[in-house]
Amino acid sequence: MPKTVERPDLQETVSLDRPWITIVWDDPVNLMSYVAYVFRSYFGVTAEEAERLMLQVHNTGRAVVATGNREAMERHVEAMHGYGLWATLARADS
Amino acid sequence: MQFEPSAEGRVSAHFELVEVGLLRLATSQLVELLEAADAHAPGTAADPALKRLLPDAYLDDPEAAAEFRRFTAGDLLDRKVLNAKVVLATLGEEPLDPISDEPDEALLHDLPDDAPLTIVLDPPDVQSWLRTLTDLRLTLAERLDIGPDGRPQREDEDAPFLRDVYEWFGMVQESLVYAIDV
Repeated sequence: MPKTVERPDLQETVSLDRPWITIVWDDPVNLMSYVAYVFRSYFGVTAEEAERLMLQVHNTGRAVVATGNREAMERHVEAMHGYGLWATLARADS
Repeated sequence: MQFEPSAEGRVSAHFELVEVGLLRLATSQLVELLEAADAHAPGTAADPALKRLLPDAYLDDPEAAAEFRRFTAGDLLDRKVLNAKVVLATLGEEPLDPISDEPDEALLHDLPDDAPLTIVLDPPDVQSWLRTLTDLRLTLAERLDIGPDGRPQREDEDAPFLRDVYEWFGMVQESLVYAIDV
């Protein structure tokens, strides 16, 4: 989410839009060690956070790994597909 | 086969010739699969493995999913092919060249049958290996009809071999992840 209030009008409209999320889904193929590695190296999170997200994917079937505007989430999803992870994007409240 | 960290961010491992041959064969087949793919409609292509390699980016919006595919599938396929060719190159084979039939023939003839090959990977090579091993396992999982519980549903005579290969690729990948995670 934006940290400042002062923004140009155009971006204001965009930021008022509901944010989007990147979701990574559990699959029976990808190794837990690899999924945690991808979270750590791509999103730059700590090893602990990567492990937590990976376990959330593994145990609950999915995890929200990023929140932001649609374009950014599409970039993340494309990157995840590059790594071979099953990822989708959606509106945050969907 | 066990990857170990070596100097300057590299990792290395010893591979038996048969292991190198297996990786080459599977990776060459992956390149063929990817190069034959229709970037705009991999979901409708003859091969269901492509659907998993390039999944829909939107679950409930086919139109948005199609548009995302239009803008990304070509690049994603190109990068997957490039990664697979890096793997082939690090295995001692030139990227697939239609002119030369057996580019590694001479190399293999110079080696005793049972000499393991040392494969050394620099950090960019490692990234290509990790991604290609994933694509190989996703493709094999499709061939083995692996269910949500991770168990293969396929039970014909080829299944045990494919399953061994699938498991072994997983071991190679995990070994790589641990070797760079120090």
